[in-house]
Amino acid sequence: MAWPPTPQELITVSAPSPGGAGGAYRAFGETLRGLKTTMARVFEGIHTIQYPEEKVPVYPRFRGRHRLHRFEDTGLEKCVGCSLCAAACPADCIRVVAAENTPEHRISAGERYAAVYEINLSRCIFCGYCEVACPFDAITMGQDYEMSDYSRSDLIFTKEMLLAEPLDRTPLRAEGE
Amino acid sequence: MPRPEIHMITFTVDGREVRAPENAMLVDAAKLGDVEIPVFCYEPKLGQPVGACRMCLVEIEGIPKLQTGCSTPVKDGMVVITQSERVKEAQEAIVEFLLVNHPLDCPVCDKGGECPLQDISFGWGGGRSRFIEPKRHFEKPLALSPLIAIDRERCILCYRCVRFSQEISEDYQLILAERSADTYVSTFDGHPYVAPFSGNIIELCPVGALTSQPYRFRARPWDIEGAGSVCTLCPAQCNVELTVRDERVLRVLARQHPGVDDGWLCDKGRFAYQSVHVDERITRPMVREGGELRPVSWERALDEAAGALGRAGAQSAVLAGGGATNEEGYLLQRLAREAVGTPHVDSRAGGGPGRELAAALGAPALQATVPDLEHAHAVLVLETEPVDDMPIVDLRIRKGVRRNRVRLAVATPRPSSLDRNADVSVRYAPGCGEAFVAALSAMLGGEGKNVDELASSAGTTVEALRGVTGVLRGVEVGEGATGSDEAGPRDIVILWGERLTQGRRGAAAARGLLNVAARLRLGGREGAGLLEVPVAANGRGLREAGVLHDAGPGLSEPPHGEMAAIDGLELPDGLARGDLTTLLLWDAEVDAATLAAAGTVIAHAAFLTDALRAHATVVLPAESYAEKEGTVTHPDGRVQRLRPAIGRQGGVRPGWQVLADLMARVGATQDPADPGAGDPRVLTGPMASRQLFEAVPVYAGLTLEELGGRGVRWPAREQAAAWPRADAGPFGLEVPPGPVKANGDLRLGTFRSIWAGPEVGHSPALRFLVPKPRVEMAPADAQRRNVTQGDHVTVGHNGAALHATVVLRDAVPRGTVFVETDALRAGPVDVRKAPPRAGPPAPDPAEAPS
Amino acid sequence: MSTTTASNGERAQPILFRGIDEEGLHTLEVYRRRGGYDSLKRVLDAMSPADVLAELQASGLRGRGGAGFQMGKKVSFMPAGQMDKYLICNADESEPGTFKDRELMQKSPHMLIEGMIIAAYAAGANRAFIYIRGEYQAQADILDAALVEAQAEGLVGERILDSDFELTLVVHRGAGAYICGEETGLLDSLEGKRGNPRLKPPFPANQGLYQGPTLINNVETLATVPHIIRMGGAEYAKVGTETSTGTKLVSVSGNVQRPGNYEVELGTPSREIIYGLAGGPPEGRTVKLWFPGGSSAPVLTGDDLDVPYDFDALAKAGSMLGSGAIIVVDDSVPVVAVALKLAKFYKHESCGKCTPCREGTRWTVSMLERVDNGLATPMDLDIMASVQEQIIGNCLCVLGDAMAMPIGSMVAKFRDEFEAHIEAARTRNPFGDEQPSPDPVLVQGAAA
Repeated sequence: MAWPPTPQELITVSAPSPGGAGGAYRAFGETLRGLKTTMARVFEGIHTIQYPEEKVPVYPRFRGRHRLHRFEDTGLEKCVGCSLCAAACPADCIRVVAAENTPEHRISAGERYAAVYEINLSRCIFCGYCEVACPFDAITMGQDYEMSDYSRSDLIFTKEMLLAEPLDRTPLRAEGE
Repeated sequence: MPRPEIHMITFTVDGREVRAPENAMLVDAAKLGDVEIPVFCYEPKLGQPVGACRMCLVEIEGIPKLQTGCSTPVKDGMVVITQSERVKEAQEAIVEFLLVNHPLDCPVCDKGGECPLQDISFGWGGGRSRFIEPKRHFEKPLALSPLIAIDRERCILCYRCVRFSQEISEDYQLILAERSADTYVSTFDGHPYVAPFSGNIIELCPVGALTSQPYRFRARPWDIEGAGSVCTLCPAQCNVELTVRDERVLRVLARQHPGVDDGWLCDKGRFAYQSVHVDERITRPMVREGGELRPVSWERALDEAAGALGRAGAQSAVLAGGGATNEEGYLLQRLAREAVGTPHVDSRAGGGPGRELAAALGAPALQATVPDLEHAHAVLVLETEPVDDMPIVDLRIRKGVRRNRVRLAVATPRPSSLDRNADVSVRYAPGCGEAFVAALSAMLGGEGKNVDELASSAGTTVEALRGVTGVLRGVEVGEGATGSDEAGPRDIVILWGERLTQGRRGAAAARGLLNVAARLRLGGREGAGLLEVPVAANGRGLREAGVLHDAGPGLSEPPHGEMAAIDGLELPDGLARGDLTTLLLWDAEVDAATLAAAGTVIAHAAFLTDALRAHATVVLPAESYAEKEGTVTHPDGRVQRLRPAIGRQGGVRPGWQVLADLMARVGATQDPADPGAGDPRVLTGPMASRQLFEAVPVYAGLTLEELGGRGVRWPAREQAAAWPRADAGPFGLEVPPGPVKANGDLRLGTFRSIWAGPEVGHSPALRFLVPKPRVEMAPADAQRRNVTQGDHVTVGHNGAALHATVVLRDAVPRGTVFVETDALRAGPVDVRKAPPRAGPPAPDPAEAPS
Repeated sequence: MSTTTASNGERAQPILFRGIDEEGLHTLEVYRRRGGYDSLKRVLDAMSPADVLAELQASGLRGRGGAGFQMGKKVSFMPAGQMDKYLICNADESEPGTFKDRELMQKSPHMLIEGMIIAAYAAGANRAFIYIRGEYQAQADILDAALVEAQAEGLVGERILDSDFELTLVVHRGAGAYICGEETGLLDSLEGKRGNPRLKPPFPANQGLYQGPTLINNVETLATVPHIIRMGGAEYAKVGTETSTGTKLVSVSGNVQRPGNYEVELGTPSREIIYGLAGGPPEGRTVKLWFPGGSSAPVLTGDDLDVPYDFDALAKAGSMLGSGAIIVVDDSVPVVAVALKLAKFYKHESCGKCTPCREGTRWTVSMLERVDNGLATPMDLDIMASVQEQIIGNCLCVLGDAMAMPIGSMVAKFRDEFEAHIEAARTRNPFGDEQPSPDPVLVQGAAA
């Protein structure tokens, strides 16, 4: 096509022309319809949640901060340091360094345990793949979503932090709620 | 035997026409058509297939039963089906059977993620198990040796490790005990499996039954990166892949180069990586202050070193060794010759033949390759113990003898581990290699009258020599083998140790060796020739880079012309006389007495020895081979490339950079008017390589890209014509001196075991293998001296003596003792019972490990 | 041992067992007096190896060890030319229910030695071994003594009977492993290695003992050779059926009234052997199942008793003649017990080299144990049948098949009884903690 195009080649699209009753309806009718909804909600009361004083309860399958688990009976760590979570992690935020259990120094139930287990929560995308990959249910996604901190390095959670009983900061939605 | 001819045939696999070499096994041939047949027990490196795992069952048209693809040679017109329902059922059945007794250990198993059983179960298994009964149980994990952990529950009894031990390394230690499902791999008597090549079974194991102890739980396959390089701990220069995690070398695997290592590694190469990361390593430059070595900045250390070299000028000497790269060697001789202005450069601490003879011995037409060892008619092992000096070649020789019926002659002073495989093995007196080659040369040349005399001065017999010539000529031993060779020239490889041509009579020995080669007509013959085992890991490369007292790069005329240069052998004398005052040691080891005689010692080293701690003035930290960049040259002429796998530890700087800095600094001190005078214009590793390739005529035109991961043999290139021409004999030989008269004493022979070297001693996993000083002697000699196995004795003469433990060996010739040492020179020694020492005696090395 | 030598009525004279119970037959003197070593003399005097081979081929003699391969053909596979060739007599008679070779070696060792010399002559072998199972101590002693006699008389050694033929013969005692009766396992064992079967090809005829061509035959096969020379191959072939020539020693054991070794003409109806010769099961019992050729053969039932006892008829009936050992099981014995006993034997004897046999036998035993103590369901029988199918044809040697075929046939033919057994055991033992039932005594003849 030659440039500039001739007027015959151009397609002009224009809005409907204003005027008459149609024009008045378009100007006010629709606006009033919207206002009706707004006005109706005014009497329902305040819906704003006063976070952080108020918190929305999360669903049971909410994927919040990770937790590592121990066996309840023996107290041994469930994690054997297999690194499958690190392999599954799309954000590459998990680092595991394994070591060997000895009879005198037994950390986990298997032959090996995680000597270092770190999750960089500033990188984590909370996809939950680590939980799916774990062959021992050692890592699960918790319900905590309050993780802001003052420095990036504080967002690298170590094994001890992940094993510790988390503060009960986030309410969990009850069954059927 | 010479390499068999290869015929190509066409066969059909899954409907595709594939061209493959005739009689290749179906598994290999199918791969050429991109069809994978799963296997567990099949491994071509292990020789004949055993067909034990049954994983490779395939359908072949015309044969009613399913056949094992690993053991069926492919024929022209064969029609193979690997995708039928029958084959699929059989494959699923085998996977199900294998998993019946295989524990679900994958998360804690080191093999997980790189495990053939996982891969094949995923790819060819049914995906479910109907087995609900208890699996078999063994105690686990157990240590098969301090280096190898064994988990018998995971074992799928593929026989690979046992076959390796029985048929490749021939240490005959591993066996299968019990039978049926209770079968397990073990050593015969439950002793630890300690052998020079034991680590290979870790790599062979298709499941996690055999795992490396040092690598145990260190990383998973997705945590690591592989970095290909070349191991420079010995002249074999095996191709390795370093496993790296977080800038640390965690494991060494073989990189499968048929021209170099055939896919095997020795335990030294496999486990000595640990020495890269130990605290004992020197990682900062040091300078002697107040009688002690103190860490200083690089600038300070370089200034001190350059100052000392500049001041000493022609009174300084440079000695290189070990795994120094060709580039380092090249820059080193430039530093000495151009900047410092000294001709005293060498890479052979023990001396050697002159330039002409070195050129004749290294002539491209006379070089055999490593694979020639397995296809030759006959191999002569001369003055070297392959398992100690160049371990991987030991396996190659065994392979040739076992599979290709190569005839083997061994001629060494010390009993060799290859004696059992040899058609003939001959002992001669230590230090009498020259007389031995002279006698051999006379025998081959038909000079009968000389042979008697020469044989006796070598400390051997005419019958023994006749045995050797018989093997080389292909005549049955005892059939009166003489000088004639009616059968015509044969493919003969002579594997000779550089020690033969060391010392003051090295030139004469070299002439003798060239005579032998000439009389066997090895020159210019494909598949035949000489293969040297240098003392230093890159001995050949350093010589070709010009680190010789009488030759420049490419064995050219030295730039300093007729100026008399002191070689490595005369170095101690030169220092003692005062002709030399300053010594630059580049990865080279020199004894304490020599260092003490030098005024200034500048050492580039990775570990502080006692001698360096006492005498070094400046110490510059050296790279490990995992950090190095550059090239090395294999004894058969293959130029190979080192690539850095990890960042340099601590303050270590690249060798080429240190040398370039030194040159610039020395040059500046020499000529204050022109500060850039000494600058070698080397700013990167590849720049150093380029300078080397330009300077050495036979390397001309090489590029690092061309070297790639496999290296290039320069004797096979056109540019090899630039090698200096040299007279290759035959020479008239001088009468060699007879063996040292012992006068009731014993003759001393020295050797270096595979476990010598700082890398072994500094690797925690290998430390148990470091030999305690021991003296090997014949039982009769021991009896006469009233000592017996395990006694503590002193060995020596005239003051110089060392303590050692007696090891009796029947194979040691009477009148000779062998000690692993560099401290004593060959000569007569006496062995006396040591006075009882305080404290508990050192454990016997023969009993370790427990 | 209760042995009855019986020819098959009027139809044929016994060949191997003719006068076998004569006092002193194991000595050279008696054996020679009865015409022993005449065949050897005839062979060495007047026949070339090719002539002997032709007689063997004409006789149609099929191997008596289990596979039933024509002996003449096997000999003809031996390569010509100058090299070390070997002849091995497989006297590792370990197949459960088989005890015919024992009687032959014990009573007429020279018959075997003579047969071996002739076979070695035909095959061009100069070294021969008798690999005898370790448990046959008395028989090995007798063979040793016979060998000494034969050597003293110049029948074995250099220049046999003043001919140019030379043969060294060694009696080698095994150490008691079933797998060493498999020909390649036997070779490894003889070489001093662990007795594991080898991959075939190469077949022993090309690369056998110490990589040399090797002919391996069963005791009975080799002992028949002198008779073939005596009678002439064509004459021998007239005995028996067209494809199964000659007579066969049959070891009958199990639930029969007169267990023992019987020499029968091939083609005799099985009923005549079991009922006529061995007296059938005890009064009031009926034959539930029988193994026609040792414990490795698929079982046949009482309905199959009229099958002629020869190689092809039995194969057609879905079983095999094998080593010629009939084990009869009557209706007093539960089939599960038979299967379990059998499977345990093969699990114990599997060498462990190839996967299907090693793992399949162990799995089968554990499944049968569950069936036995009521922890199984009928679905497990399907799994068991499928596991047997996965074993058959996929193994390195035939040991795996040797378990899978009879077990598979038992599950197929007695499925109802298996299911009833599971049901009964589950009622009796709901928690699965009952001790396993004791092994049934099956092989009465050999146990005596």
